Amino acid sequence: MNAIWVLMGLLGLSYIGSLLVGGRAIRGMGLPSGAEYVVLGFLLGPTGLGLLDRATLSTFEPFAHVALGWLMFVMGVTFGMTGDRRVRTTRLIGGLFISLASGVAVFAAAWFFLAWRSPLSPIDRLLAAGGIGAAGAETTRYAVRWVATRHNAQGPVSDLVNEIAESDDIVPILAVAFLFALHPPAVAFHLPTVGWMGITAGLGLFLGGMAALLLGRTFRLAETWGVLLGMSLLAVGIAERLGLSSISALFVMGVTLSAFSPHRRELRRILAPTEHAVMLPALLLAGAYTDFGIAKYLPYLIATAIGARVLAKGLLGLGILGIAPVARRAGPRLGLGLLSAGALAMSIGLAFTLRFPGPVGGLVLASAAAITLFGELVGPASLRTALTRAGETSEDPPAPQPAPPPPTVADENGIVT
Amino acid sequence: MSAAAHAEPKTALTRAVQALVLVALFGLLYAATRLVPELESHAGTIGAVGFLLLTGTLASELVDIIGLPHLTGYLLAGIVAGPHVLHLIDHHTVSQLTTVNALALALIAMEGGAELKIDGLRKGLRSLGWATLLQSLAVPMVMTGVVIACKPLIPFLRPLSTSALVGVGLLWGTLAISRSPSATLGILAQTRATGPVASSTLTFVMTSDIVVVVLMAAALMITRPMIDPGSSFSLRDLQTLGHELLGSVALGTTLGLVLAAYMRLVGKQLILVFLALGFGLSEMLGYLRFDALLTFMVAGFVVQNLSKQGPRFIKSIGETGSVVYVVFFATAGADLDVPLLRALWPVALLLCGSRALVTWIMARLASRIAGDPPVVRRWAWAGLVSQAGLALGISGVVERAFPSFGSGFRALAIATVAINEMVGPVLFKMALDRSGETSTAPRPSISSLEAAHEMVEAAHARADEAHKKESA
Repeated sequence: MNAIWVLMGLLGLSYIGSLLVGGRAIRGMGLPSGAEYVVLGFLLGPTGLGLLDRATLSTFEPFAHVALGWLMFVMGVTFGMTGDRRVRTTRLIGGLFISLASGVAVFAAAWFFLAWRSPLSPIDRLLAAGGIGAAGAETTRYAVRWVATRHNAQGPVSDLVNEIAESDDIVPILAVAFLFALHPPAVAFHLPTVGWMGITAGLGLFLGGMAALLLGRTFRLAETWGVLLGMSLLAVGIAERLGLSSISALFVMGVTLSAFSPHRRELRRILAPTEHAVMLPALLLAGAYTDFGIAKYLPYLIATAIGARVLAKGLLGLGILGIAPVARRAGPRLGLGLLSAGALAMSIGLAFTLRFPGPVGGLVLASAAAITLFGELVGPASLRTALTRAGETSEDPPAPQPAPPPPTVADENGIVT
Repeated sequence: MSAAAHAEPKTALTRAVQALVLVALFGLLYAATRLVPELESHAGTIGAVGFLLLTGTLASELVDIIGLPHLTGYLLAGIVAGPHVLHLIDHHTVSQLTTVNALALALIAMEGGAELKIDGLRKGLRSLGWATLLQSLAVPMVMTGVVIACKPLIPFLRPLSTSALVGVGLLWGTLAISRSPSATLGILAQTRATGPVASSTLTFVMTSDIVVVVLMAAALMITRPMIDPGSSFSLRDLQTLGHELLGSVALGTTLGLVLAAYMRLVGKQLILVFLALGFGLSEMLGYLRFDALLTFMVAGFVVQNLSKQGPRFIKSIGETGSVVYVVFFATAGADLDVPLLRALWPVALLLCGSRALVTWIMARLASRIAGDPPVVRRWAWAGLVSQAGLALGISGVVERAFPSFGSGFRALAIATVAINEMVGPVLFKMALDRSGETSTAPRPSISSLEAAHEMVEAAHARADEAHKKESA
């Protein structure tokens, strides 16, 4: 298929994604975080119907890098926030612990399985198992938001799950930074893995700090976009040049910008609508890269990883019921409600495929796709059941809001009218 | 509260921070390129786009202190980072970056077309007519003479016969009347100038593009037998040109109507629509052999003059273009062949000086005959000095048509365009500043947006409170 037609298709998906942000379509169509685009990509891709061949896909590698980087940047800017409110510290720690525990469980299961069945070298085994563990760590915020929106969920359990989902991204992101740093670039000096990991985080910190510094001065709106886009692209370019994890660098950059910029609230507002517009084409590309035939043992590896994840999330759900009294009304299915995975898992999978083409990247991406699809099918339904049991859902349409006054806008001269 | 109250002046501290960040970014990319030197991959291209976007923006802010246009800052950032100075961006990356040109040119042409209003054109028709006539006749004639006179200075002219020399002179003269819509729009976007100098320059530059394309086809047709005695006079070039022009106008009109309908009925995600047009439609136009610049210009003209969507259309293009233009001009800077300019600068300077002089004389003469206001008489020439992509495109056509001297012709064209590209925008901005047409109103800043949102939220809160009271 001609690259221009593929580009047009991706732009079309961006268009749909940006319309979904408006919320009008979200109630009626699609899986919670657009995992159907992963399936669509797989069907169109070289191992599906073959409409997108490998050569065409390779022309879109730059787009994939940029899309992943931008997604992670936006995730970084909005990390630890629910709307304009910060996630409570205890829940932030809880979210980090849950993702760490889930990730470690999936990593351990995948590592032992690969040691038993695969011919991978120890370092490749570590990379593949680590990637699968990172992809299995999160609970996607999109699915939680989707359930809350679709079923008008409001209450302490909804808040709790939402805050956990908003604060669990950093563990898999740092894990990816570490794993990528295991394969440093060929340079004249030696630096330990932790050093390269530090460079990854340092790059994000440096560019995020620069962006905050620039946006803290009097920057015009058009230049604000220039700075945000420029810093993101530069971070992706340098991280990729050094063979480091661009998604980790961009995430750290987003967190740094959000932490230091006096305009953090406004930045979140202008960046949030771009998330879906970038996410859907990225999911489609990730789906197209997915190859479930990469190894004979892949189905068993997937089953092992998913099994470990279900077990870990289920146990962690029980732990939440024990620790947080407000959650007890939700019942034991709360843990399964945390199974949803999506953009982050697929981003990690795609990043691994681009960085480690071959068995390592292929195993991580295929596992991430399976974890995402399974999570999408089981997670939202379980979460809905748990929230219904807690008495926090309602199938009634939301109460009509009073009409707000006409929006206030700044005209081209900067005058508010 | 007015958002203008939030607009902080750009203090010395702000400038110092910008300079510091600029140096830090150069240092960062310098370290990265030295650490992992050769890299002909997409990572280099992605990083280069980000780097040029950032450094172009920052350099434009810094050159603003001494009154130079932002465009000069973009170009300077590209030149310094490019393959001939610091080599932070290599030749391969520069060639990869030129794909952004299709998008930039589509936006520039649509914006240029949308800036042309029928009323304004009607009012300035006499002025436009005289300017076009005199510039299109006198500049090629004088420049033909200059090229002939410069024969001893230009190596590729020395072996040519007299008729061939005249032919080359005519081709150079036609190249000399090409202007730069991108530079014109870039300066107008920065200064937000309104007034007779801005409007007359824009109208002339946009319409001159069509004139240049037609004259170039005619020049090729006439000069071919002069340069290559074996070839015969053929109307085939004009036939091809007719097909190209009519097809472009027809497609542009259709596109304009579709865009206007889309904006009226849907009106969302115009950035994505522009991206699709810039990359997708440009590709299709290349396949159909239509002129992309003319097609998009007509589309913009139709949206502005046959619908009510003009102002919104221009605003949306401006929002998208503000980022794209930085990369476009910074890439042009990186692409600038500095060693070639160093080798050819004396003769290039002579040709540029002659062109500027005759352009100035003809602009004043045309303004006098047309009875333009004094400010136009004085400054209208300044916007006609810039040259960029179109001139380079024409030199490429000449290179392909006449391989015997084409490469030398193109090299000289690149050197002169480089000078005009640097000097022209400075002159045009100076003209707009001196004529008092540059806008002094503040631009919306991120602070003003925050203030606007705070006001919306406060209004929402008041409405909620009123609603609760009513319910109670």
